[in-house]
Amino acid sequence: MSERVNKGVGDTAAVLDYDVELMLRVKEGDGASFDALLEKHRSSVVHFLYRMVQNQAVAEELAQEVFLRVYRSRSTYEATAKFTTWLFRIATHLALNALRDGKYSRFEERLDDDSSGMPVRQVSDRRPSVEQSMLHRAKMDEIRRAIGALPEKQRAAVLMHKYEEMEYSQIAKVLSCSESAVKSLLFRAYEALRARLAHMA
Amino acid sequence: MKCPIEARQDGELLGYCDGSLSAERKAAVAAHLQGCAPCQEFVARQSMVWEAMDGWEPPSVSAGFDRRLYQRIEQEVSWWDLLVRPFRPLLTRRSVPIAATSLLVLVAGLMFQNPVPVTPVKPPKSAQLDGLPPDQLEHVADEMELMREFNRLVRADATEPKM
Repeated sequence: MSERVNKGVGDTAAVLDYDVELMLRVKEGDGASFDALLEKHRSSVVHFLYRMVQNQAVAEELAQEVFLRVYRSRSTYEATAKFTTWLFRIATHLALNALRDGKYSRFEERLDDDSSGMPVRQVSDRRPSVEQSMLHRAKMDEIRRAIGALPEKQRAAVLMHKYEEMEYSQIAKVLSCSESAVKSLLFRAYEALRARLAHMA
Repeated sequence: MKCPIEARQDGELLGYCDGSLSAERKAAVAAHLQGCAPCQEFVARQSMVWEAMDGWEPPSVSAGFDRRLYQRIEQEVSWWDLLVRPFRPLLTRRSVPIAATSLLVLVAGLMFQNPVPVTPVKPPKSAQLDGLPPDQLEHVADEMELMREFNRLVRADATEPKM
């Protein structure tokens, strides 16, 4: 984690230009550029939304809406920010709305659901024992619960910081707040997670 | 350097952990960490949280995701197409917008040149006789005289004793 920010700075600029360039081509009616953007960001958007709402079906439904909005907005798109800032702004907005509406809460997946993220191992001699599987699942459930218990904005900030490796300034733009507010959100969120997951050490 | 925990410098240690500090500040925190057990514990626990979070892998995106999305896009395009279709021949011919603009300019020009006549407000009907022609005045005077005569007869008839 400590190396990620410095390493990512150089790459980000190139990626930024390329994504924006693709979106500008979409604006001009190039469908292939939309395909490329979808291919590139599909997983990160769905995974972010999954970790936000903790339900795969809802996450995919919301992700569809995100890309549909990107497509609908193509004619009015202006390259004023990083493409991913815009994309995650839409995704966060939809996720927060869905969580606040509460209409998806009854769809929350059961904690013993098989789709909870346990990676399926293909090599039989490395297959974890039943005990190891249960232990891993219990650990993941605890992490899910701990992240799910965070206030929505803190949760979004943590997910963008940890999994999308976004810088504070970008998270601030996505959440429409100041950089110092993001630092404060993250500090409080990680403080809660450290307290809640301390026994795992 | 002051202890970040004691100084309540919230982001300093977190920034050290996630690598967002400048090289100078990073070196300062690293030097401080050598002799500060609470800060060492903070760093260790934060690393543990991130390690634990690394293990949370979301399920892979379902195979039909793109197909469903493109279907929805197709539907939207179809609806739009359906709405615009009747007007498409008009929109595609270049001469039509030019002709429409010319017509608008022409109509606007005509309106400026010959402004719509304002109909005068009719004065309310009254007993004013100033504007009437002389023969009509004479006719009116005759009618008034006739009316007076009629009234006189009626009153005289009413005063006579009835049988």
